[in-house]
Order: sequence, then C-alpha cells, then structure tokens
Amino acid sequence: MDKLTRYSAVNTKIRVMEKEFLRREDYLNMLQKKSVADAARYLKEKTSYDKLLGGISLDTVSRRDLEDILKRNMIKNMDKLIHYFWDDYKDLVRSLYIKYEIEDLKVLARSIFNGKEPETIEKPLSFLGKYSRVNPKRLFQSRTIRDLIYSLEGSEFFEVLNPLVDGKRENLFRFEMALDMGYFNIIQSRRLKISREDRKMLKKWEGMVADLYNIQWIYRGKKFYNLSPEELLNYTINFGDRLTFADRKGMCYTKNLEELYSMTINSVYGFLFKKEEISRDIYMERRINRFMYYKLKALTRKFTMSIIQTIGYVWSLEFEIRDIISIIESIRYDLPPEEARKFLVKAA
Amino acid sequence: MSVEKMKSIGVIGKKTLLNRVLRLVALNGSMHMINALVRVNSTDFLLPPSEKNIEALEELPFLKPYSSKRDFTKEEEVVKSLLSLFTIKPQLRIEYLGEDYDYDDFMKQLSDIYTKVCSTANEIEEKVNSIDKKREYIDSLKYLSRFSLDISRFIYMKYLVFRLIRISRENYDKLKKNYENIPAVVLKVGVEGKYVIVASITPVSLEETLEKIFSSLNYTLLAIPTEFRGTAAKVTEELIKSIGEDQKVIEYLKKSSEDYGVKYITELKKGYSRLEMEKKTEELKSEIAMGNKLFFMFGFVPVSSVSRLKSELESQFGGEVIILVEDINKTVSGITPPTKLSNIKLFSPFEILVKMYGTPAYHEKDPTAFFGLTYMLLFGAMFGDVGQGLILLFSGLILELGWKRTSLGGILSRVGLSSTVFGFIYGSVFGSEEILSPLIIRPMANINYMLVAAVVFGIVLILSSYTYNIINSSLEKNMEEGLFSRNGVVGLAFYLILLYTIFRVVVTHSNISPALVYIMAALLLLMVVKQPLSNKLTHTTKLYRGSPSNYYIEEGFGVIETLLSMLSNTISFLRVGAFALTHVGLYIAFATLARMMSTSWGNLSVLVLGNIVIIVLEGLIVFIQALRLEYYELFSKYYRGDGIEYVPVKIKVYHLSVGE
Repeated sequence: MDKLTRYSAVNTKIRVMEKEFLRREDYLNMLQKKSVADAARYLKEKTSYDKLLGGISLDTVSRRDLEDILKRNMIKNMDKLIHYFWDDYKDLVRSLYIKYEIEDLKVLARSIFNGKEPETIEKPLSFLGKYSRVNPKRLFQSRTIRDLIYSLEGSEFFEVLNPLVDGKRENLFRFEMALDMGYFNIIQSRRLKISREDRKMLKKWEGMVADLYNIQWIYRGKKFYNLSPEELLNYTINFGDRLTFADRKGMCYTKNLEELYSMTINSVYGFLFKKEEISRDIYMERRINRFMYYKLKALTRKFTMSIIQTIGYVWSLEFEIRDIISIIESIRYDLPPEEARKFLVKAA
Repeated sequence: MSVEKMKSIGVIGKKTLLNRVLRLVALNGSMHMINALVRVNSTDFLLPPSEKNIEALEELPFLKPYSSKRDFTKEEEVVKSLLSLFTIKPQLRIEYLGEDYDYDDFMKQLSDIYTKVCSTANEIEEKVNSIDKKREYIDSLKYLSRFSLDISRFIYMKYLVFRLIRISRENYDKLKKNYENIPAVVLKVGVEGKYVIVASITPVSLEETLEKIFSSLNYTLLAIPTEFRGTAAKVTEELIKSIGEDQKVIEYLKKSSEDYGVKYITELKKGYSRLEMEKKTEELKSEIAMGNKLFFMFGFVPVSSVSRLKSELESQFGGEVIILVEDINKTVSGITPPTKLSNIKLFSPFEILVKMYGTPAYHEKDPTAFFGLTYMLLFGAMFGDVGQGLILLFSGLILELGWKRTSLGGILSRVGLSSTVFGFIYGSVFGSEEILSPLIIRPMANINYMLVAAVVFGIVLILSSYTYNIINSSLEKNMEEGLFSRNGVVGLAFYLILLYTIFRVVVTHSNISPALVYIMAALLLLMVVKQPLSNKLTHTTKLYRGSPSNYYIEEGFGVIETLLSMLSNTISFLRVGAFALTHVGLYIAFATLARMMSTSWGNLSVLVLGNIVIIVLEGLIVFIQALRLEYYELFSKYYRGDGIEYVPVKIKVYHLSVGE
C-alpha cells in the first residue's frame, strides 16, 4: 500500500488535533494557580479543554474527576485515529492501548490487594477493557487477585497471568511483573503485516523504550528491591535498540551501583545518571520521559509519512495529561512553582 | 356478536383454602382477576347480610393486600437440576395439577430425592476430577519417558529437589544464556507450542533461590504422580488402567442415578408442573385481599362460563367458600369490565387488527365485523386476481390449520378469498386478462369508472362510520360527540350537503345556491359551539371544561381541519381504484419483460418471478394501504378503543396425546 494513501488523511487529522495541545505559556500559567479549582478554571477558560470541562462544576472538581475526563478524552481521540487505519495497522494502533490498560490493571490489582472497594479507587481506570475487550464491570467485581486473573480469561493478559495461580505466587509484585513482561511479549510476538519502513521504525522506537526501561529496572532493582542478578535479568525486556543481552547481563551482575553508573555513563543513555546523586531517583522517570518526548519529536519531523506520527501524537497526549495532573498535584501539596516545574515533561 | 357480556364473580373462603381455590381458578381459565380491595371499596359492592356471610362481613373493614412474597429460587434450582439430570422435558400436565395435594409436603419429598441424587452426582464429579488429574500426570510423564528409571526416585530424593516446569520460549532463552549463574541442573525435555518444558534438579539448600529465579520466569509447575513406582512408561500404563477403573465406577454411578430417575420419574414430572402452578398462584395473590381468617377474590367471567366455574368450585369446596355472582351494573361501578370479543368465524381473525388500534370498551360497539367486511372489500378491490388470490387463500389456510397461526393465517385466507372473488369480477388470472372474461369490468379499460367507483365506495364507508359513531355516542349518552361534533349528526349533515353541492356543481354545472351555503355555515357554527351548547342542553353547571378562549381557538382551527379532512378523507379512497390499476400495470410491465426473453423458459420464469414480486410486494403494500384506510379514514371517526382486554387467569397445560 502506498504510504501516501495510508497516511495523508490520518496525518492531517493529527495536525488538527495537535492544535489543541496546551502551549508552553499554558503550563507556566497553570503552575501559578493557587487552587485546583483555579487551575481547572484556567483549563476551561483559556485552553481547548473548554468543551470537555463545560459540564462540570469547577468549585468541587477533584483531581480524580479531572484525570478521568482527560483520560476519556484521550481514549476518544485515540479511537478517532483508529478509524483512519485498516488491515493490521488497525491492530497496531489499537495495541497502543495495551500500555495504558496494564497501568490501570495494576492500580486495580493494588487496591484489591489492599482490600479497598473498587468504587473508592483514587485513580480513574478509564482504559480497562480497551485492548483486552473484557467488560470492566467483571474486573471490578473481583475480590482477590485470583478473581481478577480469572476475570481476564479470554484476553491475551490471561495467558501471562495464569501461571501465577498456584497459591504461592498470587502476590502483587508477581502480578505487576508478569503484566509488564506480558506487555513487551505481546508487542514483540505479534506478526503484523506492515511496511518494511514502518517495521524498522517500530523496532527502533520500541527497542529504545525497552532500553530505557531496562536500565531503570536494573537500577531500581539493585537500589530498592535487593533482587538477585538472575531475577533482575529474567525480568528485563528481552529486546532492545542499543543494549544487547550481554550488556543487560553485565549490568545485572555489577557488584554495586557505582559500577553500574560507570558502565552506562559513556553510553547514549548516560544522561540518566548525570547530575547530583540526590535527584537521581526522583527525576529518573522524568528524564526518561523527556528523552522519549524529544526523540519522538525528532522522529516525527524526519519521517513524515510513517506510523511514528500516530505514535508520537498518542505519547504526546499522554505526556500532556501527565503534566496537567502533576501541576494539579503540586498545587494540592503546595509545591512552589519552581519546584513543580521540575516534574513536567513537556514544559520545563 | 361483538362484545361478550360479563358477570362479576367473587369468591370468599378460609385462607387455608386459598392455594387450592387459586389452582382451580387457574385450571378453569375463565376468570379475569381484578384487585379485590378496589372491588370491595367500590360503591356498588354489597355482601348480602345472611348467616352464611356473617364472618365475611365482620372481616370486611380489616382487609389488607396480600404481601408476603415467596421465594422460589431454591425450589426452582432443585426442579431445574433434576429435570436436566434426567433429561425430562418440562411440561405442564393437567393430571398432576387436578389432584388434591399439599405443595409444601410434596416439595420436601422432592428435595429429599434431590439430595440423594446430588450425592451421587458429587461422587461422579470427584471421579471425573481424578481422571483429569491422572491425564495431567500422563501428559507430564511423557517428558520423562526417555529416562528408564523409577520415577519415584525423582520425588523421594533426600538432598536434591526435582521439578518439571513449563516456561515460554523467550524466558527459556534467557535461562539458557545465563546458565552459568543458575544453581541447578536444567534440562530441556520437550517443546509444546510457544512453551518449553524443562526439568531441573537442585540441592535442597538452593531450592528457595531457584524458586525465585523460576518465579521471575513465570513458570507453571507440571504435576508428577507421587504414589506410583516404576519407569515413566510403567506408571503411565498403570495410570491408564486406573482411569479405566474410574470410568467403570462412573458408569456404575450414572446407572444408579438413572435408576433413581426411573423410580421417581412421575414425582419429578409432577415437580415441574406443581412448581409452575405454585408460581402462578403466587402471582395471582397480589390481586387478593386478606382478612384475619378469610381471603377475598374478585374477577369477571364471561356469562357463558359462569356456571362451569361455579359448579367446579361448589363440587370441590362445597359450602366452605362463598361464591358471589352479580350482573354488571352499567354506570355505578368504578371498575371497567374487560372486553372479550366474540365474532363469527369469518371475522374473528380481524380482531387482532382491531386490537392493534385499541381494544373496544366494554360498552362500545365492537367494530370487528364492519372492519372485517370492509377490509376484505378494500383488499379485494385493490388486489383482484383469481390466481394470486387463491395462492393467498391456500397459504393462509396452511398457516391457519396446519401451523395453528390462526390470526395471521386467518386474515391471509380471508383476504385471499376476497381477492379471488374480485379476480372474477375483473377477469384476471395471475395478471393475465386473456383467460377469463370479466364478470363486470376490466380496470385498465375503464380508468375513470374505477376511480369514481372507488370514491363512491369510500363515501358509503364514511357514511357508515358516521352512523357507527352516532350509535356509539347515543349508547354512551354523549350528546356533544353524537349530536354536534364533526363526526356526529351535525357533521353528517354538513358532509351530505357538501357532497350534494359538489355533485351539483360538477355534474349539473348549476350555481351554488346561497341557501346551502347558509346552512353549511350554520352547521359549522354549531360544531364550533358544540361544548357549551350540549352542556346547556344537559343542564351541566359549567359550560366549558377548560378556559373558553382556548376552547374557541382550538375549535376555530377545528373548522378548518373539518373542511380539509372531509375532502381529503373522501379523495383518499381514490387509492382503491388506483391500486387496482397498479396491479394490472405491474403485470403488464412483467409481461413485456417476459416477451423480450428469447426462450420460452425465460419467458415463463420472468412471469413466475413477476407474480412472486406482485404477490409479496404489492400484497404487502395493499395490505398496509387497506389498513391505513381503515385506521385513518374510518376508525378516527367512530372508534375510540380504550377498553381493557379480557385476560383470564390461565395456566398453559400440555395435553396428553394418544399413546402416552
């Protein structure tokens, strides 16, 4: 299929939807707000979110409501994009939901584990069922991790979670790890009929994401979880862009963190460990996100007629929601704007 | 004919008899229940003060609705699982219901049977599970078959731990590449789709470490039997043998539970019937009023069925129940009696079309006969064809008599008959006009005649519906509607004068006489003031029901509507003629197509196809158009249809067929 026919319509749509993104000043202005209601009012009155926020009362709006609205909007926009694709490309774009659904599943599992009623979960779980097509009601009725696993029966997630049901391993940690590994397995093992250029692009992009997550995982595993090198290695994502299996193995078997730093500092991913020790843990995720954001920007500029346009849009939308929520959280916890800014991905 | 007369029936008796009385009523199937409290509180309710009634009279002021709802879920489960276990068809049998029985005792007996059967079923399930487990063992042993040693030695090792696990290929890959760091001997023993089967042996002291590592590979443990000795092949053999034994046990258990089924089959069959009956009676109880010791039940029964119900009640309960039978008092009671239509066989299928518009009220004239007759005429006139009519007639008869679809089949056969008759009148057989000579007229050759005849026919129908409305209104003593409204006497007079005027202008080309115009204007004025006028005449205190200004605005527009609708209703009947013409026209089109075919087969098949299209498509259109004329042009004039349908309490029973 000619890429012009495949992409010209959807790319035009994306350009239009990108117009609705917040501008840099918007983030900075919102940071100055003193209350959640003020920030929400700003969103409503000064940005393209006016339509979405039209029906809600600003004085009583909570972070939860706002996040829910934003996420639903994200689903709506992603669904819009799916309509522009056909063949395996439709599945490819739909699989962008996996990541978000897994995030929501993990939140649900955590609250089930903590014995909370699903109705009282702090975070909205709008993405449940978007990829797996499992009815979210069924998921919400689960009372144990085992229930939750069985209620996913029939979806691809069930396959990776089923081995956990043996009485010993139904804990939260294994559940989360199995799902995360499952995600990369699903995207790695699918056989899509897409153009060679797109395949290459996807491999590059997903490999880079895997590299970043692997480094972050090994670092955290070493620093906080005290996992054995074998376990660490087994839980790494089994593909990558720059990092080979040997690289990963080397990182897992480093004696201490210092050795890990020195091993990575000169690679492309050295930026993760730069700067002072103290900020490493808090800002690592943000550094990864910013790296990916700029990488995507560069890629979209370079490959105008490719799938990366769509991926770039979805990630960018995700970062925007993440930033809005970060701002709202920092307003709630009275973080000074200067400090809060350091957590934003899109506007620094 | 028309609406069947009803009598009001009341039954009063001891509460303990309630269930049995309700069963009898449901089986009798002629009583339309009404809420007993409403009935008791209505103004014309009277319980004759006799010795027999004294207890009932005492309880009258303390009546309450029946409230406690019974829960049948458990019993339903028992009956349902028993039926499915022994594959018995759920059928309601009258012979199990007619008997006198105590429901609770019966159910207790049934649930005892159920417990017995259940324990057998559980045993079977246990065995099935054990077979599944053994199959699983056989599956895992398959991977150990290459080692010719006693497998129990794997399991009962003192210092080493053996296990057989399944992991994904990718994870196996990771394991393999990191083999030097794994504290175990790991051996790939098989591949199963995207999974790899791995055997491992590790010292007991390192077991925990290995467990963590395997956990991070998301493993599934494969089960190995512990109670057997010998090589994998030998154990497999033993397992297969033991599966065979288990299956025999299952057979035996199944047989013994089947014996239960044979032994208790009638009880089980009774179970379904009696449960359904109990559910039905429970439903009925919401209409019943309860006193301290007595229950009160009321309903309407068609006059023809009263004596049967009464004698059944008397023969079973004798003097233990009080039965009240009363004629329906026309005006006093606030309760509307239900309408049961009864028409001669020719018209009864059309009842469903009438009910689609609305059920006639109890005191209203049943329009079914008029509807049926005119509907058949309209359909036939529009779709007159001997051949196609006969097809409709026979397919209707097959539906009616063969498949018991009485209403649809009945309507179809009757319109088919009328279509056949008109076919002879038009001289048309399957569209062809060459076979028969017409008895009266060929539509296509006399277009004007057809159209004028249609309008004249329409006028006759409209006039009859005026008559109907006037009769209905006089029955209801509704002066406003019957005398002054546009569908009443004044409207009729106006319509007749209007027709006369048009006739004079069109046919005799004379001028409109001013006298007629004045009369028509006066009649219109009467229609406008119909409400205050009739209220004045009947000496009602209030002249207007709503505000006068609203009334006059409405009626002012009403005049315009009257004029328009009178004309349009009349013209509307043109379609009867037009469709008669269309019918011929459609055939001509197909006949022309047929002639264009080169072969005689092609010719014939186009004609057959054409006839099918005409029957299905035009048949449907004519069916709808005739219905439209009836509903819109006629019913709107005289028929209100705000009655309640007669729905007797009934339980559907399966009747014994010969040989059972």
